[in-house]
Formats: sequence, structure tokens, C-alpha cells
Amino acid sequence: MARPELIIEGLRVGIEGREIVKGLDLTVRGGEVHAVMGPNGTGKSTMASALMGHPSYEVLGGKATLDGQDLLAMSVDERARAGLFLAMQYPAEISGVSNANFMRTALNARRAESDPVPVMQFHRELKAKMESLQIDQSFAERYVNEGFSGGEKKRNEILQMAVLRPRIAVLDEIDSGLDIDAVKLVAGGVSQMLSEDLGVLIITHYQRILNYINPTNVHVMMQGRIVRSGGPELAMELEARGYEWLRQELGIDEPITEEA
Amino acid sequence: MAGTLVELTPEQISTFAAAEPAWLVARRLAALGEALELPLPHAKQTPLESAGFVTPDLAQAPRVSVGSLSAGAEVLDLSVAISQGRAEVEKHLGRLFAERESRLHALHLATFSGGVFCRVGRGVELKEPLQVSIELQGGVLYAPHVLVVLEEGARADMVVELRGEPGAEASVRGAVEIVLGANAALNYTEFQRLPGRTQTYWPRRAELGRDAKLQWILADVGARLAVADTRTYLRGTGAEARVLASFFGGRRQHYDFTHIMVHEGQHTTSDIEARGVLQGKARAVYNANSVIRKSAKGASGWQHEHTLMLSEEARADLIPELEISEWEVSAGHAASAGPVDPVQIYYMESRGIAPVEARRLIVAGFLASLLHDIPLDSVRERIADIFQEKVEL
Repeated sequence: MARPELIIEGLRVGIEGREIVKGLDLTVRGGEVHAVMGPNGTGKSTMASALMGHPSYEVLGGKATLDGQDLLAMSVDERARAGLFLAMQYPAEISGVSNANFMRTALNARRAESDPVPVMQFHRELKAKMESLQIDQSFAERYVNEGFSGGEKKRNEILQMAVLRPRIAVLDEIDSGLDIDAVKLVAGGVSQMLSEDLGVLIITHYQRILNYINPTNVHVMMQGRIVRSGGPELAMELEARGYEWLRQELGIDEPITEEA
Repeated sequence: MAGTLVELTPEQISTFAAAEPAWLVARRLAALGEALELPLPHAKQTPLESAGFVTPDLAQAPRVSVGSLSAGAEVLDLSVAISQGRAEVEKHLGRLFAERESRLHALHLATFSGGVFCRVGRGVELKEPLQVSIELQGGVLYAPHVLVVLEEGARADMVVELRGEPGAEASVRGAVEIVLGANAALNYTEFQRLPGRTQTYWPRRAELGRDAKLQWILADVGARLAVADTRTYLRGTGAEARVLASFFGGRRQHYDFTHIMVHEGQHTTSDIEARGVLQGKARAVYNANSVIRKSAKGASGWQHEHTLMLSEEARADLIPELEISEWEVSAGHAASAGPVDPVQIYYMESRGIAPVEARRLIVAGFLASLLHDIPLDSVRERIADIFQEKVEL
């Protein structure tokens, strides 16, 4: 199969009648790690949710394709089966459904009904993946995210990514609220998966996760658009100087939203 | 009102109970006399008058089967226990219904037929769960009685299944009585999957001695009309009780469930966790009450109820109550009803699971999370599967 390719062109997204993403262009290919950075409230997470098809977000214009297929015309589950994965900032809790059952169901949704993944094989592979992510084996039988700590939820997102092997993974603030050890673990987990068959889009507020996953491309998003793109050095510069200089340089007068 | 009881006479009872010991015949006759005076249970939103279990008629015994037994425990057909002259039966049978809250209780005690007697001896800790199946066959009216006695320090799991031949149109007027001695612990599962045309009235009573523990795991999917009221008397200091009740009503099923915790002893604790799912034109009336009596200092009683509404035509009435007559206690309740959370569906879809499948998993999981403590994997999985298959999409 060809390298994965996500192409976003002129994407505009609104919520409750307010336009948040105002014309966004971005291309992510297999083997690349793109970091989208920027102050809060600039549309980073809105873009991620709209790509996945969150029902609260309305696409107002633009295009997004995954391997040439029109992503925006697909339902949420079709997008996932086409190879898109979103590690969510606030994953839902689902009572009474074990993590293992959840992931096995998700895997089987990608296969013919007559050819489900063999149960023993699934559990063997799940166990190996949990070990490599330093996730306790009890995760398998716990209910999806129920009673999980913030860090456990994020690791569970990465575990699901490892099991489902997407072509394009969008990680929405997978580092927020985590202490540095947890960030290392999560980032290490993602790094293990990097290959030509996976393109990664990391949405983050902070530079620190990029110490553990080296980005190939860094973008800054403000006011619903990508206002600057560069290599890893751009992330370093932002870390050193903040976002204010860029705002001034670009003549953006809207005040930066304070972090919640 | 008394006129409706004309059909059942003391002579009929005496004939029916001819083989029984005199004390039991006398109790049946006394109960019949009281039935004439008592009103039907208070069930404002459930039409009881026309239900089959109200009929003042003699009932037949269902088929009772029991699983294999461990040393120190007995599970007998109740009629066998009676004919063996078991002292515990004479001592406890009907005792927790002494208040005779309604005509149906009195009628049940006058007409009960068959059922189960289960006893776990002092200090015996059972490794294997006690299993009982109560099955309706071709009859019209059944009145089984389940009596469970755990002596001091005994520990057991018990699984009771209520079922019947498909298509059966029977009525059930039953009762469950559980007596737990000091420091005894019972994990009691009851799975009701009666055929779709049955009507059942199934009150449960339990009495807990000092430091005794009872967990009721109740799962209802069957019957056309199911009325059940579960009342747990926490009599001894430090007694603990928990209800984990799940129900799934569809089509035109009507459920009327009541869970009452009566705190009499000091430092008694109770928790009621109920989860329901309603689809089609199903209807549920759900009452819960934590009663903390004047004697129960340091008691704590909590209730949580949530019902998922899968259709516009389903209806749920949730009536949580607290009755507190003592200081220094903690109690509270939360009740809610609403549709499946779209955020959960989105999350599952985002992993590639089709919305129909996502909904099925979420709904079944919502109920199945209360089945966690069922001691038999096979039973737990079967109930979870039945929940899952029942989801209409």
C-alpha cells in the first residue's frame, strides 16, 4: 500500500454558529510527524474533532482527504476504518464494556464478519502491547476509561492506537495534564509506532512532548489558521520566546486566550 | 372488596394442605382471613386489579431444580422441608411478612405452593454458589416461596433463576425471605426471565443480624408485568446491605419495582444502585426509600438510579425517598433518566465501531456493569448476552 496521506485544504469549521477554523491547509504523509502548536482557543482541537467527525462541529467549507478518499463525506466510523485515529483530550467512559472487548470489537469492525480476529491471538497481542507501553495487565478487563486517572486515560488512547494501527493518527493534547514521567511514557509509546506507514499529527500547547517525539514539521496555529510552518527549530523558538513575538510580527491584535 | 374472595374458602385451603402439619394449616387459614380485610398493595401507577396474581385461587408448585451442593448447606424443595418437619421452616416461614402490608402477602401465605428452603449452617463458608432454578410449566397461577437462612458466620453465594416455558401465560404470586444471622454474608443473585406474557408479583424481605452482609443482584428482563418490592431490615449493629438492580423493559412490558432499606441498628449501611433500560412502549415505575429509624445512629443509606430511555414512547417514573428519624446519619439519593450519551457513541464510532453496534454495547454495558459480582461466569455472561440481544435498533 502507498504511504498514508492526509490532505487538508481550506478547512473551515464552526461550532454553534461561530467560525473557529478559518481556512486551514495541511498535508501529513506516512513517516512524518507534524506538530500543530498554538495558544488555547485558536482552533487546534476543533480541527482535530472536525476531521474525526464530532457531531457538534460543523464543517463550513474546504476539503480533507485520506489516501484520496473524501473524509468529510464519511461517517465517523467510516473515517476510523479508513485509517484515521484521534487520541482524544477527554476520552469517554463506558461502563460495563471491558477495554479488551472494546478493542476487539473495533478490530473486528475492520474485518469481514466471517473472519474475526482469533480471541487467543488478540489477547496475546494485546498483552504484548500493554507490556511495551508499561500498562498494567488489569487494563484489559477494566471498563473503558471508567475510574481511570488522567494519565491512564491518555495511555489507554495510545494503547488503542497501537492495537488499531491507524494510517494517520491525530493526538489531541495527549500531553496535557500529565507529569513529565507520564509524558515520556506516552511519547515513547508513540515513537515506537513510527514508520513509513503512519503519519502523526500532534496537537499540543507545550513544546516538552516534542523532546520525546521528534517532529518533522512544526506549525503554529492562531485565529483558526496556520500562521507559520517550519522544522523542529520553530518549536524551540516558541519554547524560548512564547507566542507573543509571533503575534506582534504577524500583526495579530486579538489577545491570546488565557489557559483555562 | 371481600366479595372477590368468595371463590377461595377455608375448606379448600384445608383440603389443599391436608398433608401439612397443623401449625402450617392454621397459619394458612389465618392468612386467608386477613386477606379478606386487607387492601391491594399501594401501586398508584400500576394497574393491579386485573392482574392474574390478584386472583384468590389455589396455586400450583413450579418445578424447582437445584445445583450440586457443598457440605454444610442444604437446598430443598420447600414442600419436602415442610414434610420433614424442619424447625427452621416453622420458625421463619412468613415471619418477615408478619406486617401483612397487603392482601397479596396474606393471599400468598394462604396459598403458597412449593418453592425452596435453603440453609447454610453456622460458620460454614461455601466455596461454590448455591443454584436454584424455578420454572413455570403449563399452569395458570404459581405461588412459590423462597426461604433462605444463613446461620451465624455463614457465607454463601446464591443464584436463583426464574423462568418458564415459552408462551406460558401464567401468573406468579411469590415471595422471598432471607434471614441472615450475626456476621453472616450472602451474595444473592436473582435473574427473572419469565416468558413475555407472564405477570408476576414478587416481594422480597431480608433481615440482617449484627454485622451481617447482604448483596442483592437483581436482573429483570422477562414478564409482561413484574411488580417486585424488596425490603431489607438492617436490624443488627453494623449490618450492611446493597441492592444492584438492573432491568430492561421493551415492547409493552411494565415494571414496578420498589427497594426499601430499613435501618434499625446503629452504624448500618445501605446502598441501592439501580439501572434500567426502556425501549418500545415499556414503562417502569421505580421507587426507592432509605428509612433510618430512631434507633439507627451512625447509619448511612444511599441511592443511585439511572434509566436509559431508548424510545420516545417509553416512560419511567422515578420516585426516590428518604425517611430519616435519627441524627448523625448520612443519606442521599440521585435519580435521572435520559437517552444514551452521544459522546459515548461518538467515542466508539471514532474507533471504527458502527453506530448500531456502539449503541448495543453501551446499553448492554450500562446494565452489565451491575452484574460484576455474580459468582458464576456462565450466568453473568448469559444475562449480559440477553441484555445485548434485547437492544432494538
